[in-house]
Amino acid sequence: MHTVLIIDDSDINLTLIKALVLKLGECSPVLFDNPLAALEWCRGNVPDLVIVDYMMPDMDGLRFISAFRALHGRNEIPVLMITANDQKDVRYEALLGGANDFLTKPIDRIEFSARARNMLSLRTGQKFLADRAEHLAVMVEARTAEIREREKELIFRISRAAEFRDPETGAHIQRMAHYSQVIAQGLDLSLEQQKLILDAAPMHDVGKIGIPDYILLKPGKLTHEEFEVMKGHARIGYELLKESGSEIMRAGAEVAISHHEKYDGSGYPHGLKGSHIPLFGRIVAVADVFDALTSERPYKRAWSLDDACQFLEDGRGKHFDPLCVEAFLAGWEQVLEIRQRFRDEDIPSI
Amino acid sequence: MADAFVLDKKSILERLGGDEDIYAMMVDMYLQDVDNNCAALDGALQTGDADAIRREVHTVKGLLATFSDESGAAEAQRIEHQARDGEMAGLAAGVVALQERLREVAKVLSGG
Repeated sequence: MHTVLIIDDSDINLTLIKALVLKLGECSPVLFDNPLAALEWCRGNVPDLVIVDYMMPDMDGLRFISAFRALHGRNEIPVLMITANDQKDVRYEALLGGANDFLTKPIDRIEFSARARNMLSLRTGQKFLADRAEHLAVMVEARTAEIREREKELIFRISRAAEFRDPETGAHIQRMAHYSQVIAQGLDLSLEQQKLILDAAPMHDVGKIGIPDYILLKPGKLTHEEFEVMKGHARIGYELLKESGSEIMRAGAEVAISHHEKYDGSGYPHGLKGSHIPLFGRIVAVADVFDALTSERPYKRAWSLDDACQFLEDGRGKHFDPLCVEAFLAGWEQVLEIRQRFRDEDIPSI
Repeated sequence: MADAFVLDKKSILERLGGDEDIYAMMVDMYLQDVDNNCAALDGALQTGDADAIRREVHTVKGLLATFSDESGAAEAQRIEHQARDGEMAGLAAGVVALQERLREVAKVLSGG
């Protein structure tokens, strides 16, 4: 059903045009004898065709069309203007002002039907294209979401591959990623950035793939040389991910290379200080260390939560960015909930 | 007005796609509105505002054309242009003549 807006200050013309519009079929006419009232109606309603008389008191057809076109989303709606035969100058002006076609008085039914049908076909085409564009947008969105899900799964699996070579567990990456998100939230980062760090943090140790087993799996203390090799995992992770087309992987590269930096400049690989350390690296440093401390490992018992918090407190401004420690502790309720949700014995199956 | 109004129902109906119902409805409306139209012309004349006169005469022109009164519509157009150009001399007489024409058409329509 097409909505046809008819504006004419003459009742007899309104009645005539209404009757002709009804004859077109599948049209619902809306009548106004006052262009200002019609314009008000147009603010809340979208007609499929506008038929407007030229000469009216208060506001003539030209001014109506111009005001109508200025309303949001009314730019392409077909407008037919009714003029007398002798108003060529008005017609030129109307064409420039946004009228699509004209009707000549006295109105002739055949001419009216042909022009009105043309305009309504135009409108149908516009609507079809708009619907199609909307449909395509929805499809693209769905496909993009699917690709993102696959990307996330891939990242999780890559991260797990590294973790499998390490005493740490799948639950560790889940917890430290969620702790990172809690910190990002406490720092008032945007929802997108919070989501990004949640997805990217699991890749912090992916570079361990490149560390030889005799070092990675060595039960005792590493020698100085071995530790130097071990430190290389930050750079290997970065090299692995840095030029990815995926924003998440690139964020992962940043996390990988910077999560062992320390706030006072004593970390590795670059010995960066304070705000020179990428923010994601500063966040992940707190999340990763807290989870490592509070988790049981074959070579160590889990620290108590109080002791781990004390370690973070003591490390403010030295190992850790004080704001990140503050944000982590401010989200304590969430931290406890995350610990409950991802326990070492319930590693999510992949 | 030079020529008397002669109802050319065939030509009117042709424009209305042969629809007798629409024709009957329009005749009814014309007859109902004719006094208002004459009064509107009077009102515009009394204001002495050439633009108001032009607008009312324009409406009447359309009305007469709708009923295939080519002679009346042509006369209305002449007066409309006169008002547009601000030539007030003789404008009142032209408007009065138009009112008479409106009533004459009404008389024929109601008789037909």
